[in-house]
Amino acid sequence: MADAAEQVLAPDARRGARTDARSASDTSVVRRAAGETVIELSDVRVEARERVLLDGVDLAVRRGEVLTLIGPSGAGKSTLLKVMNRMVELESPPLRVTGSVRLGGCLDGRLDGRSIYEPGVDADDLRRSIGILFQQPVLFPASIRDNVLFGALHHERLSRPARRERLEKALREAALWDEVHHRLDEPAANLSVGQQQRLCLARALAVEPGILLMDEPTSALDRSAAAAIEALIGRLAEERAVVVVTHDLDQARRIADRIACVCVEDGRGHVGEVVRRGDPFFDRLCRDTVIATSRDERPRPARSDESEEQTG
Amino acid sequence: MRRLRRFDPVRWMALVATLFVVAVAAGLVAIFAVHSLPVWRHSGSDYLTGTEWFYRAARFGVLPMLYGTLVVSGIAIALAGPLALGAALFTAEVVPERRRLWIKVPIELLAGVPSVVYGLLGVLLLRDWVYRLLEPFEPLSGDTLLTGGVLLAVMILPTVMTLADDALRGVPAAQRRAARGLGLTTAQTAVSVSLPQALPGIGAALLLGLGRAMGETIAVFLVVGRRDNQWPESVLSPEAWVAAGQTLTSKLGGSETFIAYGDPLHWGAIAGLALALTLLVAASSLVGSRLARRGASGGSDA
Amino acid sequence: MRRAADRLFRVATGACAVAACAVLVGIVGTILWKGLPALDWDLLTAAAGETFGTGGLAYQILGTLLLVATAFAVATPLAVGLALAQASYFVRRSARERVRLLVQTLNGVPSVVLGILGFVVLVRYFAWGKSWLAGGLVLGVMIAPTMTVALAERVEALPRRYLDAARGLGLTRGQTVRSVVLPQTRSGLVSGALLGLARAAGETAPLLFTAAVFSGATIPGGIRESPVLALPYHVFVLAQDTADAAARAHLWAAAFVLLAIVLGLALAALPLRLRSSEEARHG
Repeated sequence: MADAAEQVLAPDARRGARTDARSASDTSVVRRAAGETVIELSDVRVEARERVLLDGVDLAVRRGEVLTLIGPSGAGKSTLLKVMNRMVELESPPLRVTGSVRLGGCLDGRLDGRSIYEPGVDADDLRRSIGILFQQPVLFPASIRDNVLFGALHHERLSRPARRERLEKALREAALWDEVHHRLDEPAANLSVGQQQRLCLARALAVEPGILLMDEPTSALDRSAAAAIEALIGRLAEERAVVVVTHDLDQARRIADRIACVCVEDGRGHVGEVVRRGDPFFDRLCRDTVIATSRDERPRPARSDESEEQTG
Repeated sequence: MRRLRRFDPVRWMALVATLFVVAVAAGLVAIFAVHSLPVWRHSGSDYLTGTEWFYRAARFGVLPMLYGTLVVSGIAIALAGPLALGAALFTAEVVPERRRLWIKVPIELLAGVPSVVYGLLGVLLLRDWVYRLLEPFEPLSGDTLLTGGVLLAVMILPTVMTLADDALRGVPAAQRRAARGLGLTTAQTAVSVSLPQALPGIGAALLLGLGRAMGETIAVFLVVGRRDNQWPESVLSPEAWVAAGQTLTSKLGGSETFIAYGDPLHWGAIAGLALALTLLVAASSLVGSRLARRGASGGSDA
Repeated sequence: MRRAADRLFRVATGACAVAACAVLVGIVGTILWKGLPALDWDLLTAAAGETFGTGGLAYQILGTLLLVATAFAVATPLAVGLALAQASYFVRRSARERVRLLVQTLNGVPSVVLGILGFVVLVRYFAWGKSWLAGGLVLGVMIAPTMTVALAERVEALPRRYLDAARGLGLTRGQTVRSVVLPQTRSGLVSGALLGLARAAGETAPLLFTAAVFSGATIPGGIRESPVLALPYHVFVLAQDTADAAARAHLWAAAFVLLAIVLGLALAALPLRLRSSEEARHG
């Protein structure tokens, strides 16, 4: 238990100034007070052709917090993540989402109070303000510089100095600036996998999203590269909301302010407990309850969702 | 040791088939090269640069036919290329996976329509349309290089489209997803992610289409007018394009090939045409497939 | 702005696709429309009439079938051999690449050039004269690359463990090919063959100098001087003289029969091709 407490403390220490007066137990309370709700899912249901993947999902994401989605593989964590920026619609075949997913304070408040699945909502605009990081780093065959600015330059016209500034800011936020600032015009493919993943993070940040989604961002990385990403996550949440899908329970405990468990019942995923840091249940939950119950309750292997996660 | 001990039918079949094809390919080039020697001896480089072909007067110049072939296939690529690329972008980038077949299947069937059927439609329909279209310019008939080019455009459309579609789909889906995740639209993703990476493959598609257009015989034969010695004053003047002409293939497909066989010089001129056509087509398809190979490997590296 | 550009892109590319498909519909529709009225049982079963462009197409159809069958007999062993020569399980990489290049080159040779080659070698040098066998041979060489590509794709897609298992049981390469490779890739062979045959049935250029005559031939009795009538050649000759209205009707009907044969073969190949591409994607 002492070990766990240390791990809980560790990310807070890295968060610097804001953690001064806080103990591990009141972190999320303070943050929650500070942040308004930026995504609110209520009664969301996701259907594939003949199967209900997720049902009755209620979940709120707040600015300034790291929300972690955990659960057995195939439960629909990744799907739930992609519900938040409508990337579920790009799956083949596309998944159908019902229920409401409301945004707050995004897109200059244009969508406040409306569900992003209402007709008339521009999904591309939406994705612009909700960044996403995938399991595997995906680079475009171009230089480091062009990769970072790729999204940003499609969305806004930036002057030369503004570009430079945006580039540096994004790379610094992704803790990559020191490693690459002298070789920005080299092909991005020359970077190590861990660096590539941070480059993808920088690319997402350069678009200046209000919400950042991460789909098992460290599962393809080795331990130290994963640690580098983990170390960043808390800081990224200072200005935005961060939602991280992970299968690594220790990781969830290290980075999360709140943990939501995606469990399976009758073959359908739903969000069970949402536990915040400091709750006495926080540690126990990941370790015992979720895995044990969900394994038992899983009536059949949830194939399609899992294979999509793996191959995608 | 095992190889010596046992007769291996796999090795044997593969070897025989390969040797046979090598023999056909080598024999083809060798026979046409050797058979065309008399005309080279007779005309020298005039054979390639001459603009007149009168076999009774033993004057053989292939330039007008080369010109006809290039104009006809150039028109075909200019018309079919954009249309095929647009259709390929639609199937590869816009349409959801399950609906792709609605377009791919008709296109594949289009590729199967025999060239004589295209030729027939050219004779009975397209020729009249072109004639009416050109009426202000007082054409002699609807049999023009343009007619041949339009017909060829339709014929190579499926080839170019299928290959361009393959090239676009060769771009990893993860790249598209990453771009969409950054908030790019379908169009932006296609233009700045898929297209640049598929460019070598699309170039290959165009070159292979060009090769097909240059080698196509029957349909062109029926609508091109087959008039010898059509050498325009200016190579780029479109006037020659809306007049009758002759291509390498329409010449080779004509009765002159039969007539020529007994006369070594005349036959040499015909064999030279066949050789020139083969080399042109082979060059464009070899460059095309090399380009496609490079594109494919370049894409997976990145 | 961005929205509008995206919509424009979708509409423009969609229009291209629709236009391309419309061409097919137009072609098939026109042939159907014009050819169907002239089509009757006699046309399919009677011999050609005395005058130009009258009577039935029986011998043209038979001739085409004979040519196609010959081409199939020639191309199948060639394609199997060439596909095995590019199979990574049996051949080392450099040789494989060379064979692939060879197949591509052969595929690029214009059919009229192959026809003239057949004319020089078979018709003149072997002194067969115009012969169904010469035409079938040329067509067979012409479609071999199509079949090879379709078959080689399937051979390459074979799970390695099947082959390992077969070799592990002590089968020789020949036995492995016969008992594992060929049965497992039969759909590739069949679909490739159907596609190749569709092409062979419709080709005219290779027949001009090697096999086809317009009239006066029935069922060939031997090899030398035994030409055949062929449907595409028939259409080709008639298309050069389309002044007579009755001949036109006959011509449309002949084109209809030809198109029906060719598209029938291509359609028959379709389900197999779709299934195999599906399998290739999902492993």
